[in-house]
Amino acid sequence: MIKVENLVKKYGETTALDGISFEIKEGKFFGLLGPNGAGKTTTISILSTILRPDSGTVRIAGFDLQKDPDQCKRNIGVVTQEIALYNKLSAFDNLMFWGGIYDVPKAELKTRISEILSLFGLTERQHDKIEAYSGGMKRRINIASAMLHRPKVLFMDEPTVGVDPQSRNLIFEVLEKLHKEGITIVYTTHYMEEAERFCDQIGIIDKGKIIAEGTLAELKKSGGIKESIAVTFNEISEEVAKKIGTFLDGEFKFTGNTLHYYSNQIKSDLGKLIVLCNDQGADISNIEIQKVNLETIFLSLTGKQLRD
Amino acid sequence: MFRIAIKDLKLFVAEKRSMILTFIVPIPLITLFSLAFGGMGKSSDVRKLPLVVCDEDHSISTKRLVQQLDSLPQLRLFHTSLDTANDLVQKGKEDAALVFHKGFADSLEEGKNLPIELRYDKAKEVQMGMLMAVLSGNLMHLVGTKSLERKAIVRFDQQNPGMDSAMKKGVHQMIASNFGGGTSTGKSEAILTSTALSAQAEVSPGLIQAVAGTAVMMLLFSVAGLGASLLQEKEEGTLKKLLFSPLTPGNILFGKMISANIVAMTQLLIMFLFSWLAFGLDIKQNIPGLILMIIATAFACSGFGIMLASFVKTRAQVQGLTTLIVLTMSAIGGSMMPTFVMPIWMQHMAVFSVNYWSIQGFYDIYWRLKPISDPDFLMRVGMLFLIGLVLNTIAIFMFRRNILKIA
Ligand SMILES: Nc1ncnc2c1ncn2[C@@H]1O[C@H](COP(=O)(O)OP(=O)(O)OP(=O)(O)O)[C@@H](O)[C@H]1O
Ligand SMILES: [Mg+2]
Repeated sequence: MIKVENLVKKYGETTALDGISFEIKEGKFFGLLGPNGAGKTTTISILSTILRPDSGTVRIAGFDLQKDPDQCKRNIGVVTQEIALYNKLSAFDNLMFWGGIYDVPKAELKTRISEILSLFGLTERQHDKIEAYSGGMKRRINIASAMLHRPKVLFMDEPTVGVDPQSRNLIFEVLEKLHKEGITIVYTTHYMEEAERFCDQIGIIDKGKIIAEGTLAELKKSGGIKESIAVTFNEISEEVAKKIGTFLDGEFKFTGNTLHYYSNQIKSDLGKLIVLCNDQGADISNIEIQKVNLETIFLSLTGKQLRD
Repeated sequence: MFRIAIKDLKLFVAEKRSMILTFIVPIPLITLFSLAFGGMGKSSDVRKLPLVVCDEDHSISTKRLVQQLDSLPQLRLFHTSLDTANDLVQKGKEDAALVFHKGFADSLEEGKNLPIELRYDKAKEVQMGMLMAVLSGNLMHLVGTKSLERKAIVRFDQQNPGMDSAMKKGVHQMIASNFGGGTSTGKSEAILTSTALSAQAEVSPGLIQAVAGTAVMMLLFSVAGLGASLLQEKEEGTLKKLLFSPLTPGNILFGKMISANIVAMTQLLIMFLFSWLAFGLDIKQNIPGLILMIIATAFACSGFGIMLASFVKTRAQVQGLTTLIVLTMSAIGGSMMPTFVMPIWMQHMAVFSVNYWSIQGFYDIYWRLKPISDPDFLMRVGMLFLIGLVLNTIAIFMFRRNILKIA
């Protein structure tokens, strides 16, 4: 559905995109993950035709972005990072306008609007002006306004930034529904939970480069990081620590009073480890299982935290 | 395109401030200006300009001419001898004296230069300007043939060798423009019937000045506001969102132009309706002319608003620039005061303003009583369209160039 090859975009001295390539199959939920300034918005802007890349090619729904921008535009919907609505108009009028500019026939548009409003739980408030809406409600309308022409691809640039839990859950429900309907979604975020929850394909972007790409499982594998058990003791003598060490057959290390034990079978190893520690008379105060997630993958790839 | 226009109109209506600025504020302003220019109500209320008349010719022609001048609502005539007149004007007791020298009737008959002279007090240029506007217009109507124009100018120069050149130029212009605008009748119709005179006099130039001047100025302000909506869209991200859609930048700008034109035309219409209802400006007498002027003025003014928005970066800048440009243009273009009371160099500058062409066009309709087919009137309408075309073209060019930078 989307094929991106070697995108480069420079803003003066800053290289925002430094040769990005990826491919997204139809119906996939693609997460573009990266810290602030990584180039997520720049990528989305290029894919959504409003920013010209310095070089590289993009194909959307079989159309070349350079040669056939109009066809590309009709196949995409864009949810911007900022809320872009007419505050003085009602939600209904906004939706009528944003759907109208894609030439959706009026009667059809009205049906779609009432569907979408009930989906987002805003039917009752539809004739209120946007300026009277809460931030979360505005976000919902902002998303709705990008879907009225039934695009094949939906670009979403951090749609949940600054959204209250209630709206966030509604947005998630809609996302899941859209995903089920087979719409291809490109989603940028720096919340890993969201990416882990929805995305069947994840690209990690940093400093304008895709540094890893694949399914969550693939990323976990390729990152080469193992899950670990961290056992913290109230007090442990060097002697006891050494003794415990002799019984362990996997990779481990002590940092202060904490033992980190790396393993691929955490569950079975956990019991053994506890028994071992008890046998040696070590007084356990806390046990923590450290799973591999996008955060740790990102950390191991870049040495940086994903979130500031 | 039309969707954009409709949406903009909805937004315009939803915004109370812009509605008030566009449709309510101009009304007290028109009222205020028409009070200032003494143009309230019909001719009988008009403040009359005093004028001393000396008839040295004592002919039937001059008598009739004086009589007709006397019937003008703008003038209050005093008859004296030449000596007394000179004395009065020199001592500053009267502003000006109109002298019909001996042989006026004969010259008129023979088509020679007319021995007619206006002696005036140099210190009273403003009054002179107004007086000359009234006089030259009417005299030309009364004795006007096209060919008289040159003669009148030459004569004027001969009679007033000491006049400073700036003032002289102004007089020439005045005479020329009034000749150009005068009915191009043959000599046989040299003296117009008094009915035509009274038709012309029914409305005071002050009222036209107030209505047209204020209307154009306020229009410029409100279209600048509408143009600023383009920048608002830029700032609020909706312009970017529009560009995601199949709409082209051209579509978006055209939509804006359409809505700006509709608002502008509505505003002008409301102001003229108000002037009709409140001050008795007879807008019905030349409806096609009025419509043409409204369309032309709206087009030129909205072009100004759109152009402004297309190259200015922020809304704050628009506000500052609008105030500066509109006030300047209104001042030199005659929205604040009639152009003829302004220094000559400013009168020359006036042609660069939208206001000038528009106000002159409205003068054509309501004061000079020109038909819609009159070449002068059509020229002014044409100028407005030309200005609008140039401004809009610049806007399209600038907008295309700048719009891709917003992402
Ligand atoms: N219009 C611009 N002019 C100059 N530099 C820009 C512009 N837009 C983005 N950049 C730079 O390009 C880089 C990528 O920015 P981009 O907005 O794509 O990041 P992002 O991943 O969307 O970040 P965020 O999480 O903060 O939204 C940054 O270094 C940014 O400073
Ligand atoms: Mg961003």
